[in-house]
Amino acid sequence: MSVETVVKEGDLAEMVEQVWVSYLDPEGISPLITTGDENQPTEVHSSVSITGSWHGHLVYASSTQAAKRAAAAFLAMEPEEVGQEDISDVLGELANIVGGNVKAMLPAGCFLSLPTVVMAPQTASYFPAAERISGLYGVWDGESVSISMWQSSSDLQKGEAA
Amino acid sequence: MVIDDSRAMRMILKRIVAKLNFEVTEAGDGQEALDLLATMPEVPDLALIDWNMPNMNGLEFVTKVRADPRLREMTLVMVTTESEQSQIVRALAAGAHEYVIKPFTEGAMIEKLALLGLVPTGANS
Amino acid sequence: MTLSAADFAFVSAMVRREAAIVLAPGKEYLVEARLIPVARQVGAASVADFLANLQRRPNQADQRRIIDALTTNETSWFRDREPFSAVTDVVLPDLVQSRASSRKVRIWSAASSSGQEAYSLAITMEEALPTGWTYEIMGSDISTEMVKRAETAEYSQVEVNRGLPATQLVQYFERAGAHWRITQGLRRNVSFKLMNLTAPLPAMPPFDVIFLRNVLIYFDVATKKSVLRNVARLLRPDGWLFLGAAETTIGIDDNYERVAAGRTSAYRVRSAVPTGAARKG
Repeated sequence: MSVETVVKEGDLAEMVEQVWVSYLDPEGISPLITTGDENQPTEVHSSVSITGSWHGHLVYASSTQAAKRAAAAFLAMEPEEVGQEDISDVLGELANIVGGNVKAMLPAGCFLSLPTVVMAPQTASYFPAAERISGLYGVWDGESVSISMWQSSSDLQKGEAA
Repeated sequence: MVIDDSRAMRMILKRIVAKLNFEVTEAGDGQEALDLLATMPEVPDLALIDWNMPNMNGLEFVTKVRADPRLREMTLVMVTTESEQSQIVRALAAGAHEYVIKPFTEGAMIEKLALLGLVPTGANS
Repeated sequence: MTLSAADFAFVSAMVRREAAIVLAPGKEYLVEARLIPVARQVGAASVADFLANLQRRPNQADQRRIIDALTTNETSWFRDREPFSAVTDVVLPDLVQSRASSRKVRIWSAASSSGQEAYSLAITMEEALPTGWTYEIMGSDISTEMVKRAETAEYSQVEVNRGLPATQLVQYFERAGAHWRITQGLRRNVSFKLMNLTAPLPAMPPFDVIFLRNVLIYFDVATKKSVLRNVARLLRPDGWLFLGAAETTIGIDDNYERVAAGRTSAYRVRSAVPTGAARKG
């Protein structure tokens, strides 16, 4: 069963926008602007895995600068003051929040893992048994940010066979 | 008391309730929170509780608190990404007084606390 | 489709002057996005047209609309709380007596926007009306888009966080994808109509309660008078009118008198209020 029919890109975009409105851009002056550039480079990423009735991952990826800015917004600090642990915590929480909202749209009986944060570009090699099925790609004050959904390949194969 | 395993989320919540003149204590999971509460001379008026945490999750924490006569007076507000209808019902049934879904704006959080009569200023029931 | 530099400069100067809002250059796309619904609401063909008209004929109402659109302004359920408490604590007990034969309450949410006020009133009725009573709520708005939105009755996660007790969320809403939708049981009693309050209103059975909140502020005195006159025709002689927190009929329409209603005020038609009627407070 493909999640595209259950979680449309518009839904993903809306969830992401709400995270911006709530925590990263409460004044409404620096939103995330979609570019659709699936191949934009990233430098750090975080993810939560979804298991149970559906298998896959929700991945946040961005430039280091964007990650620092996000951490600064959460922690009420200046981006320059932000440390690795701060970035790690915030990126994990971002993946957790979007992942949690996505989970609510999936079939009942799904579970969210604790987040994983990797200070390296997001590539398919981190999700070997999964394929990217949907994503939001954009810039936030000039820095690349993306949120994508990955579904396990075996799930997808079963879906196609059906 | 702010109970969440994410330090970033604890910071956000701390900032909001500090504006309402609350003194804030923090805990990273339900067990830590219970341990902390056992040592505090005065029980907090309010606890903001995440659901998914290591050691003891928010639902278990709520259940334990509601069963403890010493802690019964605490207002318990879940603040979580769990947003299925069934989860909200579970939390309310376990004794949570209110439920805030992440992401939440500052205004929304303050309004929820106002609903519970915890906001000092302004006309409110 | 992007805002011209001149238009952006005009808007920036105006909102800075009137509301101390500072718009940094580079935010043209944002201003444009926020003003599109406003232009549509007033019937302008485009944001550029809307601004051209405003520059030709400056007016408070349109300036107000621009300012509101640019301030991050979330609507809320049970906005301001007190009018809804007043309905439960003061108005319903009064109606329970005076409508004992029909056992029906009719409410109008005028300028209902996306429907939150109308559905908040419906929830209030569900919780406070005695068994055996029925209610009908009509919402109206000048914008077709808003009427459609209200009829769809779907709200985002962020919107349902705002002012809605969790117990009511689970009782009166169900998940619809990323959104929450009002249950059919509640929607059944609420309908929406396209209506322009400044024009003569269609005939219809009068209402027991009218919420006309944060509408009059957009109008000049002459229009305020005509709106209040139009609205009065659809209010039962002993009905209750609620305005926004900063609004009043005083100085505008002498046919209404202000009465205490719980912690807020309501307005009732002066001549027809029976002596000793529910003037609590």
